[in-house]
Amino acid sequence: MENTNKIIGKGIDRIDGIMKITGKATYATDYPAKNMAYAVLFKSTIASGKIVEMDTADAEKSPGVIQVITHKNAPKLNVKGGLRGGALLQGPEITFHGQHIGMVVAETFEQATAASHLIQVKYQQDKTEKIDFDELAKKPEMPKGKELADLVRGAGKSALSQAEIKIEEAYETPIEHHHPMEPHATVAVWEGENLILYNGSQIINGAQTAAAATLNLRPEQVRIVSPYIGGGFGSKGGQWANVVLAAVAAKMVNRPVKLVLTRQQMFNSVGLRQRNIQKISLGATKDGILTTLAHETISHTAVDSEYIEPCGDCSKIMYEVPNSLISYRVVPMNLILPTYTRGPGKSTGSFALECAMDELAHQLKMDPIALRIKNEPKKDPSNGKPWSSRTTVKCLEEGAKAFGWEKRKAIPGTHFSGENLIGYGVACGTYPARQRDSSANIKLTLKAGQVYAIIEIAASDLGTGTNTILAQTAADGLGIPLSLITMKIGDSDLPPAAGSVGSVGASSFANAVNDACTKITDELLAKSNKQFFVRPTANDLMISEKIAAFETQSSSKAPAEAEQYSAHSFNANFAEVSINKLTGMVKVTRFLAVTGAGKILNPKTARSQIIGGNIWGIGMALTEESVIDPRYGNFAIRSFADYHVPANLDVGQLDAMFINEVDMIPNKMGVKGIGEVGIVGVAAAIANAVFNATGKRIRSLPITPDKLLPS
Amino acid sequence: MIPFKFSIAKNPSEALGLIHPHAAFLAGGTNILDLMKEHVAQPTEIIDLGRLPLNTIKPTATGISLGALAKNTETANHQLIRKDYPMLSKAILAGASAQIRNMASNGGNLLQRTRCSYFYEINMPCNKRVPGSGCAAMKGFNRMHAIFGWSDQCVAVYPSDMAIALSALNANVTVMQQNGGERSIPFIDFHLLPKDHPEKDNSLKHGELITSIELPKNNFAGHSAYIKVRDRHSYAFALVSVAAGFELQGSTIKTAHIAMGGVAHKPWRALKAEAFLKDKAATLANFTKAANLEMSAAKPLAHNKFKIEMGKQTLIHAFEVALKG
Repeated sequence: MENTNKIIGKGIDRIDGIMKITGKATYATDYPAKNMAYAVLFKSTIASGKIVEMDTADAEKSPGVIQVITHKNAPKLNVKGGLRGGALLQGPEITFHGQHIGMVVAETFEQATAASHLIQVKYQQDKTEKIDFDELAKKPEMPKGKELADLVRGAGKSALSQAEIKIEEAYETPIEHHHPMEPHATVAVWEGENLILYNGSQIINGAQTAAAATLNLRPEQVRIVSPYIGGGFGSKGGQWANVVLAAVAAKMVNRPVKLVLTRQQMFNSVGLRQRNIQKISLGATKDGILTTLAHETISHTAVDSEYIEPCGDCSKIMYEVPNSLISYRVVPMNLILPTYTRGPGKSTGSFALECAMDELAHQLKMDPIALRIKNEPKKDPSNGKPWSSRTTVKCLEEGAKAFGWEKRKAIPGTHFSGENLIGYGVACGTYPARQRDSSANIKLTLKAGQVYAIIEIAASDLGTGTNTILAQTAADGLGIPLSLITMKIGDSDLPPAAGSVGSVGASSFANAVNDACTKITDELLAKSNKQFFVRPTANDLMISEKIAAFETQSSSKAPAEAEQYSAHSFNANFAEVSINKLTGMVKVTRFLAVTGAGKILNPKTARSQIIGGNIWGIGMALTEESVIDPRYGNFAIRSFADYHVPANLDVGQLDAMFINEVDMIPNKMGVKGIGEVGIVGVAAAIANAVFNATGKRIRSLPITPDKLLPS
Repeated sequence: MIPFKFSIAKNPSEALGLIHPHAAFLAGGTNILDLMKEHVAQPTEIIDLGRLPLNTIKPTATGISLGALAKNTETANHQLIRKDYPMLSKAILAGASAQIRNMASNGGNLLQRTRCSYFYEINMPCNKRVPGSGCAAMKGFNRMHAIFGWSDQCVAVYPSDMAIALSALNANVTVMQQNGGERSIPFIDFHLLPKDHPEKDNSLKHGELITSIELPKNNFAGHSAYIKVRDRHSYAFALVSVAAGFELQGSTIKTAHIAMGGVAHKPWRALKAEAFLKDKAATLANFTKAANLEMSAAKPLAHNKFKIEMGKQTLIHAFEVALKG
């Protein structure tokens, strides 16, 4: 059967969709193991200090309990093995409320849970604990990371004093949690000296090396199995203590062990989006030309390790401005280490920058789209490199047309619909386009005149559609129908690959598969002595040469010339809100994201990924906030009853449009990545729409009804 | 969760025969199971009420009788409720999620415990969970907490939406006692303010079982409203909610029935606003005066001062919606 139509770029259904909705797709906890034992973690109830005494006797006598594991009997681990967040039961020290201090292993999850409540702990509390952000943020510290040093261009912030028009405002964003639908979970199985970890992992090889190093094993002794992941949003990128503690428990009880975090434990076990205060200073001429941009961020981090999301990144490249300052200050706190969280730095950073641009447009009495276009940079202002392509203006213009931007009322608080106020808002976003080293293996077999392909790559699928886009890539690259292609991903025994992080997944994996398709076709061609007028496919060659089986592997990396360009995905977000003028409840009635991200491999899965980012952006703008009690250091918000992700009623009509662009500079497939950019600019567009509706500028997220009460 | 015995009762007297101080009744289970999983409630025995014949909704000489075990969904969608008690229907549908309403029973709804996060966090002091241990919310994160009727022992709020409407509707709660007797509790007396005993949410005595909720007839079905303000549009507890019904004569309010949620340890009957609006013209000016009067007695905590203004606006909004009918 000849396959003449390219399937890349077609919005086909996910190839694993039926498996997922019928429960046949295996997530971490779905792996059966004979004689499984269940581990349940228990946690510290102080934020800083040490454990003085721990009485585990009652728990050990509790029905079904096999062993209680604490720092007293846990094996020595390598705490610098590459896992995030510590909490590896290596000593009595406590650095955050909710730190793992032990686990109960029992015959059932319920028995382990019941016994964990019988543990008695005495602490010596450190009274200098750092848990009050508002106080600590008054005296922030310099960050340790070199990439976070002050970045000054031109005269920096000092140019502001010369500006004709100024905006100087602080924007605050709260702690947010990733909360993927599938909580972090591990099944650990030892086979002699070798370990299998069934564990949702955004970076298969990263999870393997970190787990191995922490356990003082060689990487090849550890196998990560993670073919399906129920979401991660960054929290399953770097791995956390739980994955290795499952292995420790399995070793100590000499049985396979399942360890699942509860939803409550997810709040303080697997990172979070840190709290930020971002001060934006904009200077401009009276006709709207930017002269100064300062983006100064204060973020919290952990006391014993530093992670800062780069909130100033968008401000480095979005606008042409001669004088700028990007700076970071940190507030170390006794909290779980923050980590990569969807659109790290860009989602939060764009909230500050793009609201400030809206404030500037309002002050200038300019249309916010016109202001942005007026300050469009010809090349990357941060490094002077030419853009591989830049679609900001196209996104704004095509989006404005599709959204009906002309219906926006320039004067805030003047657009009514019954008892509701209507507002329109716009905001831009960006995220880097990169390709990371990845390799893939292809196995072809000829059976009854048909060629079957197995594609092997240690890629990961967060639920975004990696399996599907790679099968599409292989179908085109080999000339084999999709139905005859079998994907094998999510296993560290497969050829090593990058991760589903930082929007590098699609470009890295698809280029690896595509290159392997080219290589296998070349090798098959070399085996043939026939003459071809048109380059044959691997499928044609297998059939014409009657080759029963053939296999090859190849490695791919980003083209060297990509370094000479600045390559990014760009977007423009348009929000329409409807706000009850008495109660202050905000509904996003329409949202349109227009994205320029190079080649879109599958418009259907791409749309899902973009609108997923938009929905989290709605949560970021309107509902999501985690609160620390400054007396104890615990999360006062502790379940989905209080941590409000948007519900169906909060989400109006969503539309995703893609700019039709060909940009082959970043990589051979022309793929730029969409995972992160989908949330970038969303909160700002909504906050700007709220201002347009009400005339109230809310600079502290989330915009809950109390912030919009009539004053 | 601790190990517990599971017993099944076939009728109310059997259920009352099985109950003891360490046992708990199970109706819809939408709250007790959470509380058990969180170790907040630790009953040693669960008595399943699922087979009790208390699930009918039927008209009576004086109004409507809601079976204690009739489901919230069925109650909200019952045609008599939608026609004669639309405020109740709207209140039920404003609560929880469709899945929870499908499981939740009418009697159980009244017995929901507070959603104060310190009540759920077993490592924190909470006088409601452990009497005498203190109140962590008083000086903690208390954005969701009470502005009326709290004590130095407890600042929690009562979470039900349904009960706010039942309060405005002057419902009565019928309970069966262990000796087979019955008593009827006026709704306004059913839930309690915290005072010195916040561990007691309501006036039920040990060995009493709710069998029905009786709704008296009313003349305000055509002029009623339930307005709920919350942090998201569905599946969130009220910041403030208002149930309001007017008996009108022309444009004069004969009587007003008003209750508020999200502001107190019990459904807060807005008696000051009711008294003010009696025999007054249904005007925005009077609505505003009534709302200001009711909210003037509020005593906010550190994080919930906004509830005073929100309460005023929500009262006015509910009055306007009720007036329009």
